[in-house]
Parts: sequence; C-alpha cells; structure tokens
Amino acid sequence: MSRLAALRRLYAIQGAWNYERMLGLGMGYAAEPLLADLARSNPPRHREAVARSAEFFNSHPYLAGLALGAAVRGEYDGAPGAHISRLRTALCSPLGALGDQLFWAGAVPASVAATVAVVTLGAGPLAVAAFILVFNVFRAWVAWWALRTGLESGTSVGAAIRQSWLPRAAHLAGIGAGLAIGVAVPLVAVWYLAPFSRSGVAGALALAAGGVIAARLAGPMYAAPRFALSALAAALLFRLVMR
Amino acid sequence: MSLEPATWLLLLAWGIVVGVDLVSVPQAMLARPIVVGTVAGAILGDVEAGLRVGVLLELFALDVLPVGASWYPDYGPATVGAVAYASVVPAWEEALGIACAIGLAVGLLGGASLQWVRHRVVRDLNMRTDDLAAGRSAAIRGLQYRSIGRDAVRSAGLTLIALGLAEAAARWLALDPGTEHTLTLVAIGCGLAAVIGGALRSAGRGARMRWFVAGAAGTALLLGIA
Repeated sequence: MSRLAALRRLYAIQGAWNYERMLGLGMGYAAEPLLADLARSNPPRHREAVARSAEFFNSHPYLAGLALGAAVRGEYDGAPGAHISRLRTALCSPLGALGDQLFWAGAVPASVAATVAVVTLGAGPLAVAAFILVFNVFRAWVAWWALRTGLESGTSVGAAIRQSWLPRAAHLAGIGAGLAIGVAVPLVAVWYLAPFSRSGVAGALALAAGGVIAARLAGPMYAAPRFALSALAAALLFRLVMR
Repeated sequence: MSLEPATWLLLLAWGIVVGVDLVSVPQAMLARPIVVGTVAGAILGDVEAGLRVGVLLELFALDVLPVGASWYPDYGPATVGAVAYASVVPAWEEALGIACAIGLAVGLLGGASLQWVRHRVVRDLNMRTDDLAAGRSAAIRGLQYRSIGRDAVRSAGLTLIALGLAEAAARWLALDPGTEHTLTLVAIGCGLAAVIGGALRSAGRGARMRWFVAGAAGTALLLGIA
C-alpha cells in the first residue's frame, strides 16, 4: 500500500467536490493507491472496493484520512461491503463536526488572527511566511496521523477517535481563536485608524458598532460584504452630492 | 495603472494558484487574503500596500465559516485585484476604500462561480455513473483532473476580472482626497464590524466568549497605557 501517494492525493480530496457525492470522488481518488495490492490479489473485490470508495461521503477534508484508512483496512480484512458503506456513513457527522471545530472555527481563525496581530505590531511579511509554514506542518501531521490511525484501527476507528487528542484539541482551538481575535481587533483598529482625525475615527467606530448591531438583529440575513458594499456606495453618493 | 506584461502574468498565475487553493488543492491557506495580499504586494513591489489590503479583507474572511455545502465568497483572486489598485495609489489611506470595494465585489462573484463549478461537476458525474459503479479508477481520476482544471479556469477568469476592475478604477476614477479618505474609513469600519460580528456569532456564551472579551479588553487596556 502506498500511504505517501494516498496522503498526497488527500490534499486534493475536494478537487471534484459536488452536491451529489460531496467528497466521494476525492475519497475514491485518494483510495486508489491504497487499493492497488487488492487489484492483484482479488480483482473482483478490488472493483467493488473502488466503486464503494467513490460513493457519497462528507466530512472535514483534513480528517477524511481517518475514514479513508478505516474503509481501506476493512476492504483488505474482507469485511462485508454493506458494513464498510455503513462505517463511512457513520463517520461523516463526527469527522465533520470535529474538523469544523478544530480547523474552521479553531486553528484557522486562531492562527490567522495571531498573524494579523503580529503584522500590526510590525512583523511584516515574515509573520505571514511563519503562518503558512506552521499551519501546514500541523495540517500535514494531522493528515498523516488520521490516515495511519484509520488504517491501524479499521472498523473500530470510532473508539480510536474518542480516545484520541482530537475532542480536547477541538475545544482548546476554539478558545484560542476567541482569544486571538480578541487581541487582534484593538490592534487592527489602532493600526488603521492612527493617521485619521478624531471625527474620522469616531465615524469608523460608529459604523463598526452599527454593523455589529445590524448583524445581531438581522441574523442569517446579514452578510458583511453586502453591508460593506452598500455602505461604500452610500458614502460615495453622499460625497458626490455634497461636492 | 500600466503594469509590465511579466507582472500581469505573475499576478494571473498567483490568482490561479490561490483560487484553486481555496477548495480544490492543496487547501494550504494560500487563499487567505493576508497571504494573497502580501505576495501580490511583493510582485508589484509594494509589500506595504499588500499587507494593508490583505489585513482589511482578512477581517471579512474571518467572518466566513466554510462549513460543508455553505456558500462563501472567494477572496483569493479578488485580493490580487485589490492590491493591484492600491499599489498605484500613492498612500494607503487614499486607496483602501476602492480596493476594498473591488475585493468584496469580486469575492462575491467568486462565491457564485464556485457554485457554477460544483454544478458542472455533477453534470460530468452523471455522464460517468456506469463507469463509477463498475469500479473504474480511470473514471474517478478523469473527473478529478477535469474538475481541478475547471477550477483553474474559474480562478483565471476571476483574477482577470479583478485586475480589469483595478485597471479601470486606477484609470478613470478621479476622486478627491477627502472622498478617498471617507471611503477608506467606511471600509475599515465595515471590516471591524465583520470580524467582531463573526467572533460574537461563533463565540456563543461559553469559554470562547470569555476569552474573546478578555483578549480584546486586555489589549485595549495595554494600548491605552502605551
């Protein structure tokens, strides 16, 4: 089994993301090198395994290796096909929730906000380079750990996930994101607003407060880019009329 | 804005890389506006403009949770165009408003174009269902490569639109400094609203909210003392 080839292909797991199979095609693409030995030893089973590997699947892309490894291990162990399909389906929600918490709502905003804060303190492009390096080393390690754990655990991957570092890390990453964004906001405000007059600063902060209130009142109807584009258009119109 | 052909090509190539990075491959955070802006600024010889625009659009990007099948803007190629505009304006205080408008407008268009790519993949998929059911690996590879190629074309188109808007704004938009400053302040205020609104929404009422408030209050206090 070529784990490195599969790991490389996991980086393109969303390459053919779509509304019917979601990550399914990407899973099939990443499974191909892992299933190569099965093609030699049991061709009919290999064809079934390839077809199964590309069926519907959805989870966080960075943790998909857990499901991929577990399913491939099941294929080699001769587990019934229906059993493997059920396992994949059962893993969708927990891997999606854990990955979203750990990465999209945790590690990504935490590391980006920390980078923004350091940039405003004068670190410049070096801080951006450090962010890319550190984040991707962590992400590569997680991808490798996920694939290895899936392959070693097989159909008992659920227990392996529960006992792993993932649930605790997901919780801590969220707290880190809250703290990093909290630190970054005042630094960004000063970084941008320092050169402007008091009235300009007061206007910008009032608009920020108005935007936050609008977001709370409008709920899901609110979209920050549309609010900003509307405010920019209104400001431009006002200035042109007043000129 | 008269860019050298080599600079145009480099910006286009960078726009394709970051557009594809957002979803298709390798999802290495290259598409974050702060990263896109820094590199685009370096290509244009104005890293300061790249950082100023990148951080501002990052405030909007921090509001985005790209969860599952949700709809979200694509700020990568958009930031390339925004930085291209900011790099030709003498001071960032005069450039950020229009640069932000270019970035947000193209970012929204980018979000819509992602939906187009996803629907096209479904169409391709439906033409190969027999091959997929028969376990033909070549069919999976073909669909995968075709989709990534289509995403690259989408990213190239978005980057060209962003650069075209930047070119048009630099050439034909003649605003007085007062208006430019006003637009910059509006963009900063909206950026702050986006990041604070997003943080409050995702913080809920638990530990995350407490740490967010502690971080903001502590830093504000330190800045006040300094």
